[in-house]
Amino acid sequence: MDPCPQCGAAPTSPLACSACGALLDPPADTDPWALFGLEPGPSVDGERLRKELRRVSRLVHPDFHGSDAANRDLAERNSARLNEAYEVLRDDYARADRLVRLLGGPDEQAERQMPQAFLMEVLEWNEAVEEARDAAPGSPPRAALDALSDDLQARREASLAELVVGLEGLPPADNPGLPERLTEARKLLNALRYLDRTLADIRELRLEQAAR
Amino acid sequence: MAYSDKVLDHYNNPRNVGALDKSSSKVGTGIVGAPECGDVMKLQIEVEGDRIVDAKFKTFGCGSAIASSSLATEWIKGKTVDEALEIKNTAIVEELSLPPVKIHCSVLAEDAIKSAVRDYKEKQQESQS
Repeated sequence: MDPCPQCGAAPTSPLACSACGALLDPPADTDPWALFGLEPGPSVDGERLRKELRRVSRLVHPDFHGSDAANRDLAERNSARLNEAYEVLRDDYARADRLVRLLGGPDEQAERQMPQAFLMEVLEWNEAVEEARDAAPGSPPRAALDALSDDLQARREASLAELVVGLEGLPPADNPGLPERLTEARKLLNALRYLDRTLADIRELRLEQAAR
Repeated sequence: MAYSDKVLDHYNNPRNVGALDKSSSKVGTGIVGAPECGDVMKLQIEVEGDRIVDAKFKTFGCGSAIASSSLATEWIKGKTVDEALEIKNTAIVEELSLPPVKIHCSVLAEDAIKSAVRDYKEKQQESQS
């Protein structure tokens, strides 16, 4: 990190100088790891992340930078950037998604083909949700949906773990086999999108049914 | 964002919802999905000679995805399989007045037609060899 332009000290966050309290304005494309003073990677130490959030939140809090309008605007912007970065880093899916993009891997537009067998499964999940929609409590379609929900949840956990293993050790970006690893990661992320969509549909249906 | 009248019409009265016999040699099945939103679309064609005599779809997705696939089944019925392959997503966008954020729904429908025709052609080749 460059020295603080106000006091010359080495800042401990790219968003604010902890020595003199001056707000900093890092480039817009600064990645979320850098905003937290971390190296990019598939895993993150949740405790360290939360501590850093608390520490930097205080440094950039608009209440402490209210004296002039420009400064308050920057404080608001930095607070928003800090919170957005935190949301990306704390979420296993969002973090892996961002890492794949950061390393130049394909997005879901470029790598969108999924195996027919998988899409057939997705179709079946959707049909199971549909069949349970008007089914009575305790009826077979409702029980089938509960089983499906547990199964999808377990597959979600397994896929997220597989994703971390697949991205382990990245960067460096000159890692051998990098394009293939990033493509595999994107396929897993795509599968997770379908899983999460169905899990969200199931949650929504349960809320609807509970409200009846 | 409001749906166009044509989208609402297909959404409220979808044409050709259902399934054809997947195991029949005359039936081609295509399943496609959009990872951006988790939408999934199944489109099936039944072919006599080289003409599509029936088409069915099942789509789990937004109104635009349902309308795009409903319209696609209407359009391909009566066409030859090669004529069906010429249907472009842009024609679906135009017919349904889809906004830019829903263009991927029309792409999905075009892909579903291609995927169903490919499956049909593969079955024909297998039965000939």
